[in-house]
Amino acid sequence: MIPQNFEYAAAQTLDDAIKQIAGGAKPLAGGMSLIPMMKLRLATPERLIDIGRLKELNYIRESGGALHIGAAATHHEVESSGLVRGKCPLLSETASHIGDVQVRNMGTIGGSIAHADPSADYPAALQALEAKFVLKSSSGERTVSAADFFVDTFATALEPGEMIREVIVPLEAQGTGVSYQKMYQPASGFAIVGIALRIARSGGKISMARIGVTGLSGKSYRAIDAEKALEGKAGSATEIQNAAALVPQNVDINSDLHASADYRRHLAVVYAARAIAAALSRSA
Amino acid sequence: MKISGTHRLPFPPEESYAKLQDPELLAQTIPGCESLEKIGEDEYKMKMKMALAAVSGAFEGKIRIADKNPPESFRLIVEGAGKIGFVRGEGLLKFSAAGDATEVTYDGDVQVGGTIAAVGQRLIDATSKTMIRKFFEKIAG
Amino acid sequence: MATTTTKTETLVGKRIRRREDPRLITGTATYVEDIKMPGMHYAAIVRSPHAAAKIRSIDTSKAAAHPGVAAVFVGKDVAGVGPVPCGASLPGLRVPHHSILATDRVYFVGHPVAVVVATDRYIAADAADLVEIDWDVTQAVADPEKALASGAPAVHPEWPDNKAFDFHQEHGEIDKAFAEADVVVKQRITSQRLIPTAMETRGVVAEWRAADRALTLYTSTQIPHLVRTLVAMMLGLEENRLRVVAPEVGGGFGSKLNVYAEEALMGFVSMKIGKPVKWIESRRENFLTTIHGRGHVDYYEIAAKKDGTILGIKLKIIQDLGAYHQLLTPAIPTLSVLMMPGLYRTQNIRADIVGVFTNCVPTDAYRGAGRPEATHGIERMVDMLAAELKMDPAEIRLKNFVHKDEFPFPTATGLTYDSGDYAAPLKKAMDLAGYDKLRAEQAEARKQGKLMGIGISTYGEICALGPSPATPAGGWESATVKIEPTGKVTVMTGASPHGQGEETTFAQVAADELGVDIDDILVLHGDTSIVQYGIGTFGSRGTAVGGTAMYFALQELKAKLKKFGAMMLNSDDVTLANGQCVCNKTGAAKSIAEMAAASYRAMALPPNTQPGMVSTYFWEPPNFTFPFGAHLVVTDIDKDTGAISIRRYIAVDDCGNLLNPLIVDGQVHGGVAQGLGQALWEQAVYDDNGQLVTGELTDYVVPRAHMMPWIESSHTITPTPVNPLGVKGVGEAGTIGCSPAVVNSVVDALSPLGVKHIDMPMTPEKIWNLVKGAH
Repeated sequence: MIPQNFEYAAAQTLDDAIKQIAGGAKPLAGGMSLIPMMKLRLATPERLIDIGRLKELNYIRESGGALHIGAAATHHEVESSGLVRGKCPLLSETASHIGDVQVRNMGTIGGSIAHADPSADYPAALQALEAKFVLKSSSGERTVSAADFFVDTFATALEPGEMIREVIVPLEAQGTGVSYQKMYQPASGFAIVGIALRIARSGGKISMARIGVTGLSGKSYRAIDAEKALEGKAGSATEIQNAAALVPQNVDINSDLHASADYRRHLAVVYAARAIAAALSRSA
Repeated sequence: MKISGTHRLPFPPEESYAKLQDPELLAQTIPGCESLEKIGEDEYKMKMKMALAAVSGAFEGKIRIADKNPPESFRLIVEGAGKIGFVRGEGLLKFSAAGDATEVTYDGDVQVGGTIAAVGQRLIDATSKTMIRKFFEKIAG
Repeated sequence: MATTTTKTETLVGKRIRRREDPRLITGTATYVEDIKMPGMHYAAIVRSPHAAAKIRSIDTSKAAAHPGVAAVFVGKDVAGVGPVPCGASLPGLRVPHHSILATDRVYFVGHPVAVVVATDRYIAADAADLVEIDWDVTQAVADPEKALASGAPAVHPEWPDNKAFDFHQEHGEIDKAFAEADVVVKQRITSQRLIPTAMETRGVVAEWRAADRALTLYTSTQIPHLVRTLVAMMLGLEENRLRVVAPEVGGGFGSKLNVYAEEALMGFVSMKIGKPVKWIESRRENFLTTIHGRGHVDYYEIAAKKDGTILGIKLKIIQDLGAYHQLLTPAIPTLSVLMMPGLYRTQNIRADIVGVFTNCVPTDAYRGAGRPEATHGIERMVDMLAAELKMDPAEIRLKNFVHKDEFPFPTATGLTYDSGDYAAPLKKAMDLAGYDKLRAEQAEARKQGKLMGIGISTYGEICALGPSPATPAGGWESATVKIEPTGKVTVMTGASPHGQGEETTFAQVAADELGVDIDDILVLHGDTSIVQYGIGTFGSRGTAVGGTAMYFALQELKAKLKKFGAMMLNSDDVTLANGQCVCNKTGAAKSIAEMAAASYRAMALPPNTQPGMVSTYFWEPPNFTFPFGAHLVVTDIDKDTGAISIRRYIAVDDCGNLLNPLIVDGQVHGGVAQGLGQALWEQAVYDDNGQLVTGELTDYVVPRAHMMPWIESSHTITPTPVNPLGVKGVGEAGTIGCSPAVVNSVVDALSPLGVKHIDMPMTPEKIWNLVKGAH
């Protein structure tokens, strides 16, 4: 449990951090994934640049009809922020399911996203929210959607020298019902299956459904077929069940010590049905 | 750990079969492969650097090809070891024509040891599938 | 000046907060890791990544040349150090030579191969990565039943059948019992390998002072004196030149009731390099190399009459020993045999044990050590028998219990149960639960297709280990009580508590006996140069045996105090009470402090009395104690996911007198947490190649606080006649009573689906498969 030698510097400014990252330094924010891997010597970065203390990255604010969350905002801040709870409740609900109190106090939203663990909680919500990530490098900034960002297991659209600066999520419309339903892997707290739901109704029918899935396969995804199956429906028990059954369709499902692929597939349907029902009951 | 899957290559079976035994091509397509050196008939020494998000590690190992039955099947035996653990795998690759393309199915057994076995259970399945997929995508060009 | 304050309020039986807790919860306690010394070096151990391999060669040159490295040692360098000892003896036992570093072969993942010593731990870890080993990997076998199959790889080439021993015990007329039975129920029951996971991993600091020819070993252990004796033998050092200190110990659960290779290895290293050296086990090393618990495959048969009377029990245990014997490895399953009749009267038993070598870390004592396995088995079998006979599980137990007027009761396995009223906790638990109402609710729930379970276990234990003839290294315990010249009282116990709260409970007893304030009492333990020889804390013995030794030392001191009091008061008619000696005629009094001061000043001495106020007592217990109890668990099963939720957990434990009910409840809670861990979550999983795939806390499920149900804890009190405190011990009760109650509850819930047995851990996926299979 002793890492290899590495250099450490705490960035004073965002530009300083970007310069360091461009030079090959690995960004360290909350360290909840990186530090354990370094202690096991699975990760052996030579240089760390600490971006966790940058005030420029730690904010949650509303502007232009969206919530802007700095990459260094901790899970606890997202979970407890009145702004997020009021305007994007799916994200705060999801944050409350991450790890344990200690992890939520240290871990950051940008770090979790950049790490792209296939069982992390945030990606489910961010897929359902159609979130956008602002990526910054020395050559400027670009904005990437969650759907394009999560490429594969631990693989993202981040280019060398690039870091996540900000997460942009929409303001939830009045009456939209949301829910995040998760089965915990009891040792690690990661999701065996996690389903994030947003549902809006209009005229007695589901006018919008968004379903984000984590834990099931190599990367998070939106269950678009299931969303389409819900839209235009009243949301009867059968309709919920039929839509939920589509969530694990055409997905290469993971299997591990804690859950076989069959069981995960089944849980995805159960938890999707529960999340749909919960979101529906919260929608107006 | 059992491992199996199917990938499609946009070549006829004979060509797919040959490509999957072409050391120069393999050197370019095996994720993280730094060098591949022939040490005997159908036997190669390989150095690779695995890099997956924050996880990284150097491996040295051997690749051996056996039970050749062109263009239908061959057996691939891989072993590698590094500071973070070791991997030993053996699998049968089968080639079947699918129009102009080939369906390659693999079915094998992978043993993992060391740190990666002890701490990576949650991720070995997803990670190995990802690496194999990347490999076939590169072969497919 | 004498300042002992006197008091009249008694403390025994009160819920007094633990006096050791402030230093623990403020982070100011001193563990091995907190010890720092000038010139201290750090060791990193190179371990095998393979479960079975020959070592072709080891190249340490790069590691040795690494800047900051002081030394590198391999197996041949430590050839003079004796093997890791096994204290257990069984007829025909095969004992593999267990050298502290592997020489030509390794037998399990984590097997130590080399040690790198450097000026700091970072350098040591870096250099350990530079040791190059050429392995010839061989076939491994990790499953005990596979190891017994013909053609299995031999763990030790000299014993191709992988058997370490066969053990047989029989009593009564077992064949007749089975021939005459109306019903026989058979079941294979596993008790999976568990990882003890003490919060503090192991660690050793060794300090050799050549000029004094003195070695001090700070080690996280439950048995400092036994470590001293055995490590001295391993190192060839005179025992009185070795001092062993167990500083604060962050939990053991049996995993530190052992002597480990690293304890001798660090001693060796310090003596070689002439500097203090520290080694702290990482969590991963802890999982790989500190003993595991359980590891049983049990084949049970139980025979009974139609009316539920149990006629006999047969048991075959296949014990996964791992690759070596640690201190007590082969003895643990023999405790299961002793416990196999449970609380029941049957005199007909047959037991066989096959001890099996596997390419895994050794198993050994883990909270309950053999008794949870046995209790789990018998309590499952009794439930299966009740189901077969369509009897209520409580009724069948009440029918077969040893009656309360039958004590002392000789069991079929050769024990003598001390005292008991086995129906009492069961009835109390049923009352607390509202048993009849729950059964009615369950019937209603079943009509609606809901899966609700009610499970009972009634357990017994063998505690207060134990009479010396029944133990490998002495079963007595020691205490010294000193009243200092100023009247302060120092208790030194040979038991070495490591979380059990004995600094509090012992002080309560001493305060009451002497009539002094609890704050005037200091309880010391765990340092062989301070404390007289002792055995240690394990097997629920700390208070029942160690506390009793202190009790008798206190009686001797009281007699001596009384002599001084009589002399000082010039009276033969004196009473010692409430911290003073009072002349019954005049009412004149002398305080404990005044008498103690007089004993050291020694201006005058009572006849035939030595100066000073010190007493040491070694107490040999005449028998074990046998606590018992009943746990009742109500569960609800989520049919869709297989998730089990515990609606109610009722624990009624009878551990004799309660010295401190707060601590007793804490022990029960902790024990139940570990029992739930086994029932629901924990398992050490080795793959077919002997790789431990639950190698970190990310995959090995240790119960967390938020996973615990509310535990309704209650007691009945049946004092033991074995010791004057009337205490039986409670350290393992929760663990022993828990797992069968939980499994019985879940099997009960699933019984409408035809489910008769479920092996642990009962993961949601396992339950889901059972529910799915029934449809």
